[in-house]
Amino acid sequence: MSEPDIAPAPAPAPAPPPVLPALPEPVLARQNRLHMSLVWIVPVVALVIGAVLVARSFLQTGPEIGIEFRSAEGIEPGRTELRFKEVVVGHVKRVTIQPNRQKVRVTVGLDKSVENLAVADTRFWVVRPRIGTGGVSGLGTLLSGAYIAIDAGVSEESSREFVGLDTPPLVLRGEPGRSFVLRADDLGSLDVGSPVYHRRIRVGRVVGYTLDPIGKALEVQVFIEAPNESLVTTASRFWNASGVDLALSASGLTVNTQSVASVLAGGLAFGDPPRVASAPAAAAGQRFLLFGTQRAAMAPDDGEPLRVRMVFNQSLRGLDEGAPIDLLGVELGTVRSIALRQDVRNNRLPVEVMAEIYPLRLGKLRERFVAPGASATGGDRLLIKQLVERGLRAQVRNGNLLTGRLYVALEFVPKAPRASFDTNADVPDLPTVPGTLADVQPQLAEIVGRLSKVRFDEIGADLQGTLKSLDGTGASLQATLGSAEAMIKQLTPEAQRTLAEVQNTLAAAQQTLRSAEHNLTDTQAPLQQGAGQALAELQRAAQALRVLADYLQRHPESLLRGKPPDPARAPEAPR
Amino acid sequence: MTQSYPTARELGLHGCECCGLVLSTPEGGAWLRCPRCAFELHHEKPMSLQRTSAWLLTAALLYVPANVLPVMATQSVLGRDTHTLVGGILELWASGSWELALIVFIASIAVPLLKIASLGLLTWTAHRRSRWRQRERAGLYRLVETVGHWSMLDVFVVVLLVGMVHFGVLASVEPEAGLLAFGAVVVATMLASSSFDPRLIWPQSPSDERA
Repeated sequence: MSEPDIAPAPAPAPAPPPVLPALPEPVLARQNRLHMSLVWIVPVVALVIGAVLVARSFLQTGPEIGIEFRSAEGIEPGRTELRFKEVVVGHVKRVTIQPNRQKVRVTVGLDKSVENLAVADTRFWVVRPRIGTGGVSGLGTLLSGAYIAIDAGVSEESSREFVGLDTPPLVLRGEPGRSFVLRADDLGSLDVGSPVYHRRIRVGRVVGYTLDPIGKALEVQVFIEAPNESLVTTASRFWNASGVDLALSASGLTVNTQSVASVLAGGLAFGDPPRVASAPAAAAGQRFLLFGTQRAAMAPDDGEPLRVRMVFNQSLRGLDEGAPIDLLGVELGTVRSIALRQDVRNNRLPVEVMAEIYPLRLGKLRERFVAPGASATGGDRLLIKQLVERGLRAQVRNGNLLTGRLYVALEFVPKAPRASFDTNADVPDLPTVPGTLADVQPQLAEIVGRLSKVRFDEIGADLQGTLKSLDGTGASLQATLGSAEAMIKQLTPEAQRTLAEVQNTLAAAQQTLRSAEHNLTDTQAPLQQGAGQALAELQRAAQALRVLADYLQRHPESLLRGKPPDPARAPEAPR
Repeated sequence: MTQSYPTARELGLHGCECCGLVLSTPEGGAWLRCPRCAFELHHEKPMSLQRTSAWLLTAALLYVPANVLPVMATQSVLGRDTHTLVGGILELWASGSWELALIVFIASIAVPLLKIASLGLLTWTAHRRSRWRQRERAGLYRLVETVGHWSMLDVFVVVLLVGMVHFGVLASVEPEAGLLAFGAVVVATMLASSSFDPRLIWPQSPSDERA
C-alpha cells in the first residue's frame, strides 16, 4: 500500500523535508472528461430489476380470501396449497380462530390470474385421505399433505368470505352428467355415494337425500355421469339393487345381485321396461319413482285399482294382507284388509276381505270387454259383472302346503248359484264360493261317520268261517289231481303212434328238398341256364351304358342337339 | 486531530503504485502516467467515493431481495419447501442448534449488514473530510477488507447442497433467486470496499476540512 506513512505515535516535532535526488517526471495521460463513475450503472440496474420484481409481484398478488372450516386439520400456513382442478392457484397464509371459537378461519392468498374464482357460490373443501363405501379418495395427500380444493362458482357476485364444506361436494360444477330425483318410501341401505348401476355397470351415484317437507316420502338425488346420462329415458325405472334377490322359479333357484359392493353398501339400478321401444332421454331433474325390486320396477303399469269386497263364511287363517288375487294364474290384485262382519240374520260372523283388482292386468281381454267411450272404471265394472255372470267366483285356496298361506283364487265355477255384481256400488261385492278345504272338511266328516257305522267284528267272524271251509276244499283238490294223472297214462300209446307218422312225413319232405337242390346247383338245369343268359344280357347293357356315358362326357351338347351326323366332320364347323 | 504530517502531494511527489517509482510532480496536475510502467498516477483513487457509494447502494438494494426471496428450495416426496435466510436461521434456532444458527446469522446477516454500514460510515465521513477518529476508521476499513472474504458462507452451503443432494424424485435441492441476490450483495460490498480509498480518511489539509 502506498498510503502516507503514519508514525506509530504522534511525533512531537515535524520532520524536516527530506533531501531528494533528481526525480523523473511523469508523462501526461489522456484525460477522462467524464466526471461520473460508470459504476453508477450497477445500482441503477439493480434498482430497475428490483422495481420490476416488486411491480410484478404486486400485479400478481391476487385477493386474500377467508374460508371458514370446522377444523384446520392438515392445514399449514405457508405450505398448504389451494388447488383448482389440481392446479395450484394460491397458498394458505394464516389460520386463525373465529372470535366465537366455533370455527377456524383460513386466510388464503389467491393468485391474481384466478381472481374471478372468488365468487359467491364457489365452494371450498379440504382434500384429505378418505375411505368410505364409495371408495378411497385423496390418497395422494397422505404424503403431500392436505390441500384446499375449489369448485368454481358461476355467480356474478364476487365474494371474499366463504364457508368451507366438511366433505367434498358430490357433484362438481361443470361435471358432465345429469341429476335426477327419485321418490322412495324409505332409504333402505342407500347412502350418499352409493353407486347407480345400469346393466351392472356403474354409471352414477347417489348424491344426497332429503325428507319430503311433509315427511311422507323421501327424495333421493342421483347423478348419472357422462357419457351415460342419456341412458336414463323418460320411461326408465329405478329400483333398489341393495342386497340379494333370491327367486325360486321353474328353472330353479336364481340369485340376483348387482355387485358385491352394492350388496354391502347398497345401490340403485335403472333400466327401461322391456316393452318400451324407445323413449327420449330424460331431462335433468326429472322425477322418478324408486321401486323396491327389479320385478316391481319392470312390471307394467297397473293403472287405477278397482276395490272389491268379498265375504267368506269360513276361517281365513293363513290369508294375509297383501296375499295375491289370482285369476287362472294371473295375479290380478292383492288383498288389502281382512275384517270380521256380523251377519245377524244367519247368526254368523262372516269374514270381509277388501281387495284391489288391477283390471289393466287382464291385458287384451279387458280391451275386448271395455266398450269404447265408456269410462274406464265403469267399463272395468261391466267387465267384472260379465265375468261374474259367467260363473266367476272368489275362492280361498291353499297356496303353500308347507306354510299354510292362503290366496284368493278367482275361478269359473260351472254350477255356481246365481249371483249378481252391482256395478253402481261404491265397493262392489264379488260373489264367493267356499274354499276347497272348506268343501272337503264336511265330506271327510261324513266319510268318517260312515266308516264308524261299519261292524268290523261281524266281518271278522265271517272271515273265519270262510277260512274253515277253505280247508275242506284243499282235500277235494288232491283227489282231482290223482284222476288227472290216470288220464295222462291212458293217453300215452296214442301219442307214440302219432310220433311215428310224423317221422314218415319228415322223410318225404327231405326228398322234395333234395330235388329242389338239384334244380338250383346243376348247370344243365333250365333255371340255371336262364339265369346265366340274363346276366350276360345285363353285362352288355352295362357296356352300352358306359359307352354312352363316355360319349356324353365328351359331347355333353348332344343331350340337347342330338348326335351329329358324322363324328369325323364335326371339328370342321366350330362356330 | 490537529497534528499534520507532510503528504506526497504536499511535497510534490508521486509514487507509482505499480512499479514503486517515485516521481516529482511539482505542478500536481491530474492525469499523469508513470514514465516507466505507464501506470496511472494519482494521489487518491479517482472517483473513489462515487464508486464506493454506487456499489454500496447496489448492495443495499440487493440486500432486500436476498432476505425476502427464498435462497433454496428443497424438493422431497413430502412436497416442495422454500427457505429464506432468516427462515433457515429461525429453523436452526428452533430445532436447538443455536450454535449453527449463530454462525449462519453472523455470516449471512450481520456481516453483510455491518459491512454496508461501516463502508457507509467511512464514505460519509470521507466525503465530509472529517477528522473524527481517523485511526479507528482506518482500522475499521482494514477489518472490513479482511472479513469480506468470509461472507460467502451461505452461497457455499447452498452450492454444496445443490451439488450433493440429487436423489431423483426423493430429494433434490435447487438454488433460488434469493441466493443470486445474496451473492450479489457480497460481491457488491467487496467491490465497494476495494473501491474505497483509505487515503480519503486523511484529508489533505486542515484548510479543506469542513465544519
